[in-house]
Amino acid sequence: MGSQGDAKNGGEENMAAWLVAVNTLKIQPFELPSLGPHDVRVRMKAVGICGSDVHYLKTLRCAHFVVEEPMVIGHECAGIIEEIGSEVTHLVPGDRVALEPGISCWRCSYCKQGSYNLCPEMKFFATPPVHGSLANQVVHPADLCFKLPDDISLEEGAMCEPLSVGVHACRRANVGPETNVLIMGAGPIGLVALLAARAFGAPRVVIVDVDEFRLSVAKDLGASETVQVSTKAEDVAGEVDLIKKAMGEAVDITLDCAGFTKTMTTALNVTRPGGKVCLVGMGHNEMTVPLTPAAAREVDVVGVFRYKNTWPLCIDFLRSGKIDVKPLITHRFGFSQKEVEDAFETSARGGSAIKVMFNL
Amino acid sequence: MAAWLLGVQTLRIQPYQLPPLGPHDVKVSIKALGICGSDVHHFKTMRCANFIVKKPMVIGHECAGIIEAIGSEVKNLAPGDRVALEPGISCSRCNLCKNGRYNLCREMRFFGSPPTNGSLANKVVHPASLCYKLPENVSLEEGAMCEPLSVGVHACRRAQVGPETTVLILGAGPIGLITLLAARAFGAPRVVMTDVDESRLAIAKSLGADELIQVSTEMKDASEEVVNVQTAMGSGIDVTFDCVGYNKTMTTALNATRSGGKVCLIGLALSEMTIPLTPAAAREVDVIGIFRYRNTWPLCLDFLKTGKIDVKPLITHRFKFTQEDVDAAFETSARGGNAIKCMFNL
Repeated sequence: MGSQGDAKNGGEENMAAWLVAVNTLKIQPFELPSLGPHDVRVRMKAVGICGSDVHYLKTLRCAHFVVEEPMVIGHECAGIIEEIGSEVTHLVPGDRVALEPGISCWRCSYCKQGSYNLCPEMKFFATPPVHGSLANQVVHPADLCFKLPDDISLEEGAMCEPLSVGVHACRRANVGPETNVLIMGAGPIGLVALLAARAFGAPRVVIVDVDEFRLSVAKDLGASETVQVSTKAEDVAGEVDLIKKAMGEAVDITLDCAGFTKTMTTALNVTRPGGKVCLVGMGHNEMTVPLTPAAAREVDVVGVFRYKNTWPLCIDFLRSGKIDVKPLITHRFGFSQKEVEDAFETSARGGSAIKVMFNL
Repeated sequence: MAAWLLGVQTLRIQPYQLPPLGPHDVKVSIKALGICGSDVHHFKTMRCANFIVKKPMVIGHECAGIIEAIGSEVKNLAPGDRVALEPGISCSRCNLCKNGRYNLCREMRFFGSPPTNGSLANKVVHPASLCYKLPENVSLEEGAMCEPLSVGVHACRRAQVGPETTVLILGAGPIGLITLLAARAFGAPRVVMTDVDESRLAIAKSLGADELIQVSTEMKDASEEVVNVQTAMGSGIDVTFDCVGYNKTMTTALNATRSGGKVCLIGLALSEMTIPLTPAAAREVDVIGIFRYRNTWPLCLDFLKTGKIDVKPLITHRFKFTQEDVDAAFETSARGGNAIKCMFNL
């Protein structure tokens, strides 16, 4: 397609936000790979910050993924097509697209059976050692770039990534028009889970959190009821009662978007016999939970890892207005060294910061 | 007469007055009855999970017998018919019952779960719809075995065991062994089993397990044992049945099962467990729970009739219905070891 160096990037030096050490991000040059026949080159316009990005910044690791050399951060993104590979037929330069971050192998049994999110060879933006997308431009497979309708903004396109987590959880937990849903945690993930649950038709959604402000945001976003809870284990029994009263009827499905011992204990105790608990949040690694009494009521625990085949549905929800993610974007930053640092600091703070978004 | 649980470790054969025969009921002369771990638990502690024995209760629930009398509305059974009994009477009116999950009915009245009297008795009265006629070639003892076998069958259904699912079973006790038989009947291509007890593993081998791994009770051995079971399976482990239910077995199960697979918790040992749930959930390993069974008798009888399952080797000890034998039977069953299923012949 082009020769070496700047010509690859359309004549400019491509810059990206590199994680170079603990708590140290530096905007530095980022050389793009050459454009393969099935790839596209995308100019990044909107990138959101995820809790995992913050975790990498603070600790250089996330679960068993360890950052061993400098890595470009960021993965929740949308942009404009600059150039297309020779075999790409469904996109043209100028198209506005949302990007699905993970490139799977398409050869293993997981991929071939449609569970590509579990592919052992997954290459995922900003999961080491794969570079992320907080950059001027990236090269990415065209089939992982989804065209945005004209009335959907690039910021909303970037929101498809976290929204996909909520959508995938609702699918795995079988949320639908007959399932009353409880959501533990009103952080960014609890809130996208709320939006997804309503879009899937859940008649009643109760959401709990320790933070009053986050609960008020949840109420604005359509939660039927909110319950403020504590972090203390001894409060579980009382909170189970409050939740049941708030739901009014049985809790069919609980989405634990916090993932702590206390929230899982509450979830296992409050969900009705034959119901499901979906563990979305990854708070604690090992938990001491009342699993047996729940299992003996046939309350199943389903797990989620990222998502699969969710972008078309997310875009459809946004286009039809069934979901409005715009209220979740609370803070905006430009792409400069100082703003990158401020943005991550704001995101790490939590509280009133729900989704921090870069506009490039 | 029936075997009444009067207090801790105290069973007495005493008179048992039957309720009148309703139009949809049958009177059954009990002929074969097996002892379950829950019966032993009630016997030893007067409770089992949330069920507490507050007044004398007839023990026993794994049973089969011969119809003696039928209610006025009963059409598909006749006196003389040999039947296996499904123990639990659900309400048929609640949402769980109406949606087919009657095993979870809150109003369930189940033989030998307080306060409902059990069936270690000369005769019982029971709904005809819960009595299943035995095929000619299936004995009354095999009929009684349908109850524990149902636990394995229900677990295999919930965990979706089939011709493509490799299965790991933790624990080769009575429940682990019937789960093995059920898994094979459902077509599982490969079954690996673990236990601490060599003799139980030998029984598992004779019943068709492909590989046996002896394990310890020490948590520190868990990681090595995970490697051992995965190596023994040869390919990813699709479904793991924890028929024990301890921290160590659930930890092994959650770590050894492949991404996207299922762990089915059958063994009900602990109230609270300390387990690596999050890493497993983050690999989409789901945890499926089991409570008894539902709609399993017809399938169990079919498996027995066709020989797809042979439960007879599991019946290791037999007793008569006398005070002395009742005491000896419970002692033997509680002992475990080489006692797999203790069966009363009445």
